[in-house]
Amino acid sequence: MSQPAEKPLRVALAGNPNVGKTSLFNELTSSRHRVGNYAGVTVERREGELAARFDVGRAMTLLDLPGCYSLSATAEDEAVAYRELAGGELDAVVLVVDATNLARNLYFALQVRELGLPVVVALNMSDTAQQLGMPVDAKALRDGLGVPVIATSGRTGAGCDALARAIVDMRRRAAPALVPLREGDDDAREALQAFGGDSARARWLVCTTAAGTAASFGASAAELAAAAPLDAGRCSAAAAQIIAARYAEVDRLLAAAVGSSEQGARAMALSERIDRVLTHRLWGLLAFAVVMATMFTAVFTWAEPLMGAIEDAIGWCSEHLAEALGPGLFTDLLTQGVLAGAGNVLVFVPQIAMLFLFICLLEDSGYLARAAFLMDRMMARLGLHGRAFIPLLSAYACAVPSILGTRAIASFKDRLVTILMIPYMSCSARLPIYSLVIGALFVTDEDGEGAGLRRAGIMLAMYALSTCSALAAGFLYKRTMLRSPTPALVLELPPYRLPRLRNTLLVVYDRTMDFVRNAGTVILGLTIVLWALLSFPREDTGAGAGGKTEISRSYGGRAAQVLEPALEPIGQDWRIGVGIIASFAAREVLVGTLGVVYGLESEEDEPVGLREAIRDDRNPQTGAPRHTPLSGLALMVFFVYACQCMSTLAVVRRETRSWRWPVFMFVSMTAVAYLAALLVFQGGRALGLG
Amino acid sequence: MPTRALDSLAVGEAARVTAVTGDAVIAIRLQEMGFVPGTTVRLVKLAPLGDPLQFELRGYHISLRRAEASQVRIA
Ligand SMILES: Nc1nc2c(ncn2[C@@H]2O[C@H](COP(=O)(O)OP(=O)(O)OP(=O)(O)O)[C@@H](O)[C@H]2O)c(=O)[nH]1
Repeated sequence: MSQPAEKPLRVALAGNPNVGKTSLFNELTSSRHRVGNYAGVTVERREGELAARFDVGRAMTLLDLPGCYSLSATAEDEAVAYRELAGGELDAVVLVVDATNLARNLYFALQVRELGLPVVVALNMSDTAQQLGMPVDAKALRDGLGVPVIATSGRTGAGCDALARAIVDMRRRAAPALVPLREGDDDAREALQAFGGDSARARWLVCTTAAGTAASFGASAAELAAAAPLDAGRCSAAAAQIIAARYAEVDRLLAAAVGSSEQGARAMALSERIDRVLTHRLWGLLAFAVVMATMFTAVFTWAEPLMGAIEDAIGWCSEHLAEALGPGLFTDLLTQGVLAGAGNVLVFVPQIAMLFLFICLLEDSGYLARAAFLMDRMMARLGLHGRAFIPLLSAYACAVPSILGTRAIASFKDRLVTILMIPYMSCSARLPIYSLVIGALFVTDEDGEGAGLRRAGIMLAMYALSTCSALAAGFLYKRTMLRSPTPALVLELPPYRLPRLRNTLLVVYDRTMDFVRNAGTVILGLTIVLWALLSFPREDTGAGAGGKTEISRSYGGRAAQVLEPALEPIGQDWRIGVGIIASFAAREVLVGTLGVVYGLESEEDEPVGLREAIRDDRNPQTGAPRHTPLSGLALMVFFVYACQCMSTLAVVRRETRSWRWPVFMFVSMTAVAYLAALLVFQGGRALGLG
Repeated sequence: MPTRALDSLAVGEAARVTAVTGDAVIAIRLQEMGFVPGTTVRLVKLAPLGDPLQFELRGYHISLRRAEASQVRIA
């Protein structure tokens, strides 16, 4: 009967990656949940209440744990899962296993059962097991494991009712069921003595001590002291025996519940056939190129109309707001600060959503693992994992979603290396700048024949420069500041499955909202600060209230003039300096700001007038043109390297959880940019090109 | 030949694991993924650039680089 006063049960869903935990979670919670992060790490944490339609008379909070293969904590998500499962907060665990691959799934199940929490096994993918003609004998499995086993399908929702009821029915805490060690597992017995005899914790300590991860994954000082005298070789042997004993038990259970050991092979038969094409040495690479090109086009081009619409909407709002409020400081703050800031946040939403849509579809279908398989050789040369490839590639479109996309990389150091590489890749926001400079100083429309080719050539050179620089930066960081061995590749190639759109869209929504909430606030704040820099001090023009500030006399403008001696050696003047400061909001702002600086009223993206103004700008003393192809080249090179994007910095802060890395990124990239521009300009002059 | 390693398999060939040696973190990880003594492992294919390798064991597929595969002894 329902007893509303009772505390809701806390129930975790645990299991190997890709077994359908999230699908079941969505079924059980009717897709209503909260997303957060585990303290200090970017492992996603989903929590939600059992949906009302499961009338089981007891409130229940469900927790979707990260998928893992074991609890010996060789990876960050496994440590998170272990802490949660061993933390004593849970009332029960739903162990989700893939009914088409029990031979590996049951290992983790046995490991969790050892912890002594009440366990229900959800025999998921039962629909597929049935179709493949190799159903699992749930009763035999229940007898073998000694825990309830419910056949479910995360795809159709079948079995979820029974699952919810089974959870509520488990009142007692189960006695920890340690898988018996075998005869001759003497190393294990001996090592376990060091930790006070055989227990789940002692087994965990033996395995993590052998792997050398005990300290970093939460063993206490007393436990570490107990581990210290253990001989490394003996400890490894002990761990091997514990693991082998569990697998021996898995094989025993399998014989009873499935009968044949051929079970998984049949599930993989179709995938193996698909792989004959998709990981073929020729067709596989070709297919990969097509997939990447599609993804790239989506982020680069398909998101464009939406971004335009958002910009238009913001423009419309700020126009009407300005009209309604009349001119004044407050209006400027609202329109140029707050609304522009909101625009700076929202404008990323289409690209982020698009990239995550692709990444999630690729991941749920099983292709993402194949992509890592194909690209691993190349990435391993850099010292990175194959999974770093997709974020790096998508950085050509925009650094912001790409940095969010590095979450697939397990090692934090390697994630950082990838994050630090990403802003060097030439993103789409640099295009208008290249295009303005090339149009103004390199190729004029009158050039006629060959103009397009020259334009493309210069553009390509900038992209080549940025790509090489990103690779060089990765190479350098990986071998110096963030040195770590090339991460091992132990990568499951799961069976291909048809993703479910609902689940994918939910993840896309969660990730996008996470960006808006967390990075968005920082971007909004920075936009307002920048607005203030370029609008103050106010000058009283004598006409009474609300003076206007010439951008050149604003704090930003003055700073640029003070900095002019530093800009001269790279061939720029203070006007470009103002543009550089303003473009920190977003690189493409450079074009608009230069328009204002040159006194053009036009609001168009790239007024032809601006190109001419830049081209015709002359030094009043010498009469020599202020901007030459050489100074233009220096400016473009500056923008290849400079981290002129506060949104990138905001996202890096969000992902690394400290200001240290964004500050390092900004300072180092600006220094490189300045030096490179200096080299180009002074080198060019020395060669007599200026 | 008692000391063959997993990376010496030919495509399509299968063998039984005898032990996992070398780097401890990876050795534990590999054993927990099912590379325990007595398990049959088959080399399914090589990646287009010759590395990593794709294996089948316990009814599922896994990809390892040659470096990791060489830690698994087979007979
Ligand atoms: N046929 C079938 N497919 C399923 C079932 N449950 C989930 N899937 C599919 O399996 C894939 C993985 O499902 P997820 O729910 O993302 O798995 P997960 O365990 O949460 O994965 P991770 O979060 O990566 O650990 C998706 O493509 C699902 O649509 C099921 O019972 N039957």
